[in-house]
Amino acid sequence: MGNFGIFDRFRIPTYNDPEQMQFGIVEFDLEKCTGCAMCVAVCPADALITMDKKPRMRQANECAFCGDCAALCPAGAITMKSPYRFTRFYKTIDQGESSPPRL
Amino acid sequence: MVEKNGTESLDRLKREFTETEKVILSRRSVRLYKKEQVPEFMVKRILEAGRFAPSAGNFQPWKFIVLRDAEVIKGITESVVSSCRILSAMTDYRREGYSWLRPLIKLITRLRYNDLHPMPFTAIPLMGEGRLDLWHGAPTVIVLLKDIRGAGNPDLDCGIAGQNMVLAAHSMGLGTCWVGFAKPTLEYNPIWKKRLGISYPYKFANSLAIGWPRGNPDGMVTRQTHAVDWFENGTVKTIT
Repeated sequence: MGNFGIFDRFRIPTYNDPEQMQFGIVEFDLEKCTGCAMCVAVCPADALITMDKKPRMRQANECAFCGDCAALCPAGAITMKSPYRFTRFYKTIDQGESSPPRL
Repeated sequence: MVEKNGTESLDRLKREFTETEKVILSRRSVRLYKKEQVPEFMVKRILEAGRFAPSAGNFQPWKFIVLRDAEVIKGITESVVSSCRILSAMTDYRREGYSWLRPLIKLITRLRYNDLHPMPFTAIPLMGEGRLDLWHGAPTVIVLLKDIRGAGNPDLDCGIAGQNMVLAAHSMGLGTCWVGFAKPTLEYNPIWKKRLGISYPYKFANSLAIGWPRGNPDGMVTRQTHAVDWFENGTVKTIT
């Protein structure tokens, strides 16, 4: 969490600067992965590629942390690591730790 | 439905989610569809769920268009792709040799901060390059039009009706995805607007892709929590 300062409001971030724009990160358990590549097909940001029959995140990607890959994976080999964090005008505020649905 | 004052049912509620909650929590935006068409009666039932959505002043400021014609869906997709190709040529300063475009785009971003938010900004080139499909191959599309004369906030009312339809579809085992990217064509392209009969007072609000999912996309995933301020008994606390 944090607050939204007056300087944040007036500066638009540079989208290809990883310092200012951190996109989502998912992790693959390559032991469990069967190489079906469903995650690569479903990703709306085209953030995943297949290398040596295993999925991997692209170096520069725009993962929106939607969770489609993790939900679709038949082997349950994908963990959603960290959500996107933007700075400056689009600063991510009032967000806490990620969590699955809570009772 | 949980009975009021029933201790046993309240205890059960603490232990597990209700059926409706499960539908809500396991809904994912489906982006892999089978080619097989959705039965007509199911689409009609989904439309019924939208018809009974709450709206400001019960004005029901919406009109739904069902697209099940593969030719029409393909035509609109192609039109959106070519618009995105032009838009990304105009805006994408991340390309090599285009950093001079950056100050100008940042200036426009200040004015059109919703349209040039990082997510649509990065999706426009993906769409233009064909790396992202508009309706992901869904055989049925419902276009939501808003009546711009609606009470209060017609966009919001369309959103409520649309989410009713999404949840109804999901409870029937169908997959859905909200797609706002049809906007360049269905809001600005006069040829397609005429072909679909979109005219005053209707305006494109959003669209839904509907189809049978490929694989099993349903499931609860991890998501960001949001701070909630809680006022009670003269104090305030923040929970997440």
